Amino acid sequence: MGWAKYLEDITSRHNGTSLVQRHLQNEIGRDARPNKPKAPAKSRLNTQGEQNMSKLKDFTVATARPLPVIVLADVSGSMSANGKINALNDAIQSMIESFAAEDHSRAEIHVAVIAFGKGDARLHQPLLPAAQIKWERVGAAGNTPMGAAFDLVVTMVEDHAQIPSRAYRPTVVLVSDGQPTDEWREPLQRMLASDRASKASRFVLGIGDDADPAMLAEFLADPSARVYSAHEARQIKNFFRWVTMSVTQRTRSVNPNSVVVVDPTALDDYDF
Amino acid sequence: MTSKGYMARRLRVDYFGASVAGPAHRALRKPNEDQWLGASGAFGSLVVVSDGLGSKDRARHGARKACVATLRAVRAWHKNGTGSLDDLVGRIEPLWLEEIAPFDRSDCAATCLLALAHHDGRTYVAALGDGMAAVRTCGAIERVEYPRASGFSNETQSLGSGGVWAKRCFECSEIDIAVLASDGVSDDLRPDRLADFVAWLKDEIAALRPVARWHSLRHELNEWPTPRHLDDKTIAVLAWPNGGTA
Repeated sequence: MGWAKYLEDITSRHNGTSLVQRHLQNEIGRDARPNKPKAPAKSRLNTQGEQNMSKLKDFTVATARPLPVIVLADVSGSMSANGKINALNDAIQSMIESFAAEDHSRAEIHVAVIAFGKGDARLHQPLLPAAQIKWERVGAAGNTPMGAAFDLVVTMVEDHAQIPSRAYRPTVVLVSDGQPTDEWREPLQRMLASDRASKASRFVLGIGDDADPAMLAEFLADPSARVYSAHEARQIKNFFRWVTMSVTQRTRSVNPNSVVVVDPTALDDYDF
Repeated sequence: MTSKGYMARRLRVDYFGASVAGPAHRALRKPNEDQWLGASGAFGSLVVVSDGLGSKDRARHGARKACVATLRAVRAWHKNGTGSLDDLVGRIEPLWLEEIAPFDRSDCAATCLLALAHHDGRTYVAALGDGMAAVRTCGAIERVEYPRASGFSNETQSLGSGGVWAKRCFECSEIDIAVLASDGVSDDLRPDRLADFVAWLKDEIAALRPVARWHSLRHELNEWPTPRHLDDKTIAVLAWPNGGTA
C-alpha cells in the first residue's frame, strides 16, 4: 500500500486493519519530528480533496440507481363496469405520487404502465422517474391481449438502455379482470425464461369473478406467492397500497434488491 | 539482489489504492466487505480488489482471503516459471478454499480482480465478477470483463459460486496505468467519462506522495457524489511513472 512504498518496505498490506489505522496515526504523529519525510499537512489534503471531489462529480452518474416498477394494466371493456377503471386510474396515480414523495429511498423509483385492451398492448406511460410523471388517465375498451403485454415487458426489461445494469431488480405488477384473449402461454414462458425479466419481483391482482386465479398464479411462478383478489373498487386501491408499501420498503432497505414481503392485511398499520 | 528482484525494481511500477465502507454498511455498523491488496516482489507489482458478496455471512473474510490467495497464486506461478494466464487464475480458487477454511465457500463468496505488472514485461489482468478492471494502453481504455451475469445491480459471479474469468495479457510498454474498482465505484462511473476518470487517477492522484494519495483517495470515496449510493467502494491502481517501461 501507499505507506509501505513510502517507507521503502515493500510488502503486502490489507486496508481497513487496525495496523493501517495505527500506522497512519504514527505517520501523522511523526510529522513534527526532525529528519523524517514530511507528510502533507491536513489542510493541504482537504484543499486537494475538494478540488478532486468537484472533478469526480464529472465522472460519475448524477442520479440514484433506478428501481423500475412496471404495471400491466388490463384496460379491456369489462373494466369499465362498476367503476373498476376509475379505481385503477386513481390507484396508479396515488402509487406514482407516493413514489415521487418518497424521501427515504435508497433508489430512484421509475414507473412504466403497459395498458392492454382495445386489440393491442401499448406503452401508455414510458418508464420515467416517478417524480417526472404526470399521470394521464386511461380508458377501457376492447378485449384482453395479455400475451402481447408480456412481450412488451420482456422487450423493456431486456433493454439495457431503458433499464441499465446498475438498476435494482424491477417489480412487475399485473392487474386483470378476465381471461386473456390472445396467445399468452408462450409470451409468459418467454418472460419467465428471459435473463432479466425472470428476476423481477411480481405482484398480481385478479378483479372480480371472471379473473382466472390459476392463470394469474402462473404469472407469479412461485407457489408461496399470493394472487390478490378484489371484488370491489376499494380493494383495487388497497392492492396498490400494498404494492406501494412493498416497493418503498425495498427502497428503504439496506439491499434494495432483496424482496420485502409485507403482509397485505396490515395495510392500515402503515402511513403513506 | 537477485536478477529477478532487480528486474522488479527496474519496472518501477507504483501501486496504490483505498477502500471505504459504503453508507449501507456504515448505517448497520458493519465493516467494509471490500478488500484490496498491493504487493511487489520478484514477480513484479500486483494489485487485487475483492468484493465480498453482501448476502453472505463471511463476505469480508472471503474477500480478504481472495486477496491473500491471489498473492500466493502469483508467487507460486512466478516461481514455477510463469505459465499461461489460465494457469494463474486456475490456481486462485483452490488456494482461496484453503484460506477460508473452516468456513464454507457459500458463506464466503467474493469477486476477484487482479492486475499484475510482471517482470517479464507483460501485464496480466483478470476479473471474476462485478467491478472494473481497465488499463490505458496506447492512450485508449481497455476493459477486461464479461457482461454482468444477471444484468442487475449487486448480483455477480464470484469465487465460491462458479463463474468464468475474463482475462487479458498486455505488453507493459503499451500501458501507463491499470485500474481496478469494485462495483460500488464502477457502476456509478459514466462510460463516456471513463478515460477522464483514469486520467485523473494517473495525473492527479498518482502524482501525490503516498500518504497524501491514500488520504485523498479515501476522501474521494467517502464523498462519493452519486445520490443515494450504498455500496462499499474500492480503487486499486498500478501506475507506470513514465508511460510504460520501454
